[in-house]
Formats: sequence, structure tokens, C-alpha cells
Amino acid sequence: MPQDSLTAAQADVKGAEVGGAADNPKAALHLKLAKDQIELAQKQIKDGDNEAAARTLDRAQADAELALSLAKEAKAQADAVDANEQVGKLRKEIAK
Amino acid sequence: MMTRRTRSLKTHSLSALRATLPALIALGLASIVACGSAAVPQELMDARAAYANAAKGPAAELAPAQLDTAKTSLDVAQKSFDSDGPSQKTKDLAYVAERRAEIAAAEGSREKAERKRAAADKDFKSTQMEGLEKTKEQLDAERRAREAANQDVNKTKAELAAEKAARAEAEKRAAAALASLQEIAKVKEESRGVVITLSGSVLFATGKSDLLPIAKEKLDQVAKALVSQGFKAIVVQGYTDSRGSASDNQTLSLKRAQSVRDYLTTQQIPADKITAEGLGASKPVASNDSADGRAENRRVEIVVTPDKG
Repeated sequence: MPQDSLTAAQADVKGAEVGGAADNPKAALHLKLAKDQIELAQKQIKDGDNEAAARTLDRAQADAELALSLAKEAKAQADAVDANEQVGKLRKEIAK
Repeated sequence: MMTRRTRSLKTHSLSALRATLPALIALGLASIVACGSAAVPQELMDARAAYANAAKGPAAELAPAQLDTAKTSLDVAQKSFDSDGPSQKTKDLAYVAERRAEIAAAEGSREKAERKRAAADKDFKSTQMEGLEKTKEQLDAERRAREAANQDVNKTKAELAAEKAARAEAEKRAAAALASLQEIAKVKEESRGVVITLSGSVLFATGKSDLLPIAKEKLDQVAKALVSQGFKAIVVQGYTDSRGSASDNQTLSLKRAQSVRDYLTTQQIPADKITAEGLGASKPVASNDSADGRAENRRVEIVVTPDKG
């Protein structure tokens, strides 16, 4: 059972990394928290504390998901600023 | 007894209360605060704050599903705290609930940013179309200006051609007028201008200065030729032969010249451009010894200063 949660959490971490979580400071923090907690969960599983491991993996998964959301949000914000700048530039170009 | 005791107790407790009220209040507040910080774990407080923050942001409208998940997660943590107290399980659940709230907030902000970006993209496209339209208009204006310029060139060409044709026509008319004039008078180009010589015998009866009817016909032709050719000034000079007194000849030649001048002014020759002179027997053109020579000397010369040059 904890093995499934472990795999799921690891997949979420992977997803967050692919989503660019390492490039954004806040997202990178949660990515690190997720990884640290996966490590802790693996230790807990090794120690036979499956119940604690399952909750640690829930935390890891939540952090990984948050890392991905933050990365996506940052990208969307940057894109919006960029798009606005493009409009401004085009307007200036036309006004010439 | 009872009453007294109660009263005394009341009095006692009232005074005691009065005495200890600040301490009680302080204690009460302290206990509430202590209860809050000690009992409710930091994780749960953070989760509540994160949820409150997410709920008042764009997530409420743009990420309601995620916000609902966060609420459920917070409720689970709260229930765990209600039944188990600040256990590790409660803390873990609160930790997850805080992340769920932050995810909802991030998704709401992302959605908002994406909408902003979509609006900007739309704006970009319409601005592009605007620019395209403007460029098209500019090109059209340029093309129209070019066409107008071409038209002007064509017009100028046409005008030049028309002018050339008009000039050729005028020259032709002048040549024709000159040719017809040569039939009735002698026309000579001299340094003083074009000299049209009319025989006196054609214009006047002997000793008279009134124009003969035939003279008027000839002068009509002369006037026509002059008008068609254009001129700057005209001098009508009257001459006689050498017979008779010089003063008589002078008077007659002037009168005759004036008759011709006056008639020409009635034929569209402006009066301010034409003058008359009487020169008597001076400047004979032939010998006064023969009848033919004297006839040639009796004459009127119309000296025309050309318009050009």
C-alpha cells in the first residue's frame, strides 16, 4: 500500500520538475520539501512504520502538486506580462 | 443565616472579584491565548489562514473546484483536531490542507493570468489588423498620389501639345493674314518693324483726306491681319509727292494718316497703341520726276512694332 503512494508521489515530483518547478524559487522550495519527505517516507517504510509513511507521502504529494501549480502560475504570469508588452510594442510601431 | 452568609459571601466574592478582576482578565486572556497556541497546532492555523487567503482571491471565481478540495481537506484536519487533538495525524492533515489551499490560490492566479494573456493576444491581433489597415491606407494614399502625379504629367504633356498646336495655328493664321495682306499692300520687314505700304491713290481722292469706300475694305483686311498677328505699337505715317507747298503737303499727309488711324481704331485696334504722323514729301520711295514715281510717293505706311522681341 505505501509502495503505491510512494510511486504516486515520485510521479508527482517528476511532473513538477518537468513543469519547470526548479526554475521558480517558491516552487523549488516545495519541490525540495516533497523530495525530502519521500526520503523520510522511505525510511519510515524501512522501519515498518507504514502508517506514518502513508501520511508523509500525502504531505510529499501535496508539496509536489503545489510546486507544479506554482510553476504553472509563474509561467502564466510571465506570459501575460510578455503578451502585454508585445501589444504595447506593436501599438508604438503602428503609431510611427 | 443563609441570607447573611450568602450576602457575606456575595460581598466577599464581589470585593474579591473587584480586587482580582484585572488578574482574572489577564488570566482569562492568557488561558485563551495559551489554549489557542498550545492546543491548535501551527499547521492547522497556517491551513486556516491559507484557506482564508485563497477564498478571497481569484480562486473563488476561477478555481472553485480546487478551492472546494482545499475546504474539504481543511475540514478533515479540523475534525481530526476535534477528536484527536494536536496529534501528528492532525498536523499532517493540516499540512496537506494548507498546500491544497495554496494550490487553489495558485490555480486561481494562473487562470486569471491566462485570461489576461488571452485578452492581450486578442488585442495584439486586432492591433495588427489595425496596423494592416493603416498600412493599406498609406499604400492607397501613395498610389493615389502617384496616379495624380502621373495625371499631372499627362496633363502637362497635353497642355504643351495644345499650346504647340495653338501656336502653330496662330502662326498659320498670321502667315495667311500676311499673305492676304500682300495681295492688297506692300509688306516689308525693316529694322523699325513691319512696314505695310498702301497706295495713296487707292485710299484717297486727289487732295482729300476722307477715306474712299474701297479704302475701308482694304483697311478692314489690314486691321484683321494686325489683330491676328498681335503687335506692340503702330505708327501710321502719311507721305505726299513733292508737288505743292511743303506746309500743305505736311498738313495733308497728317490728315490722311489720321484718317487711316481713326478708321483702324474702329476695327479693334486699341487707340492707345496707334499714332499718326504727317511726313509730307520727305523720304520719297521713287522719283518725283515721273507720274508713276509720284504715284508711288503718295502713300500711307503703317509701321508695326512686333509684339515679340
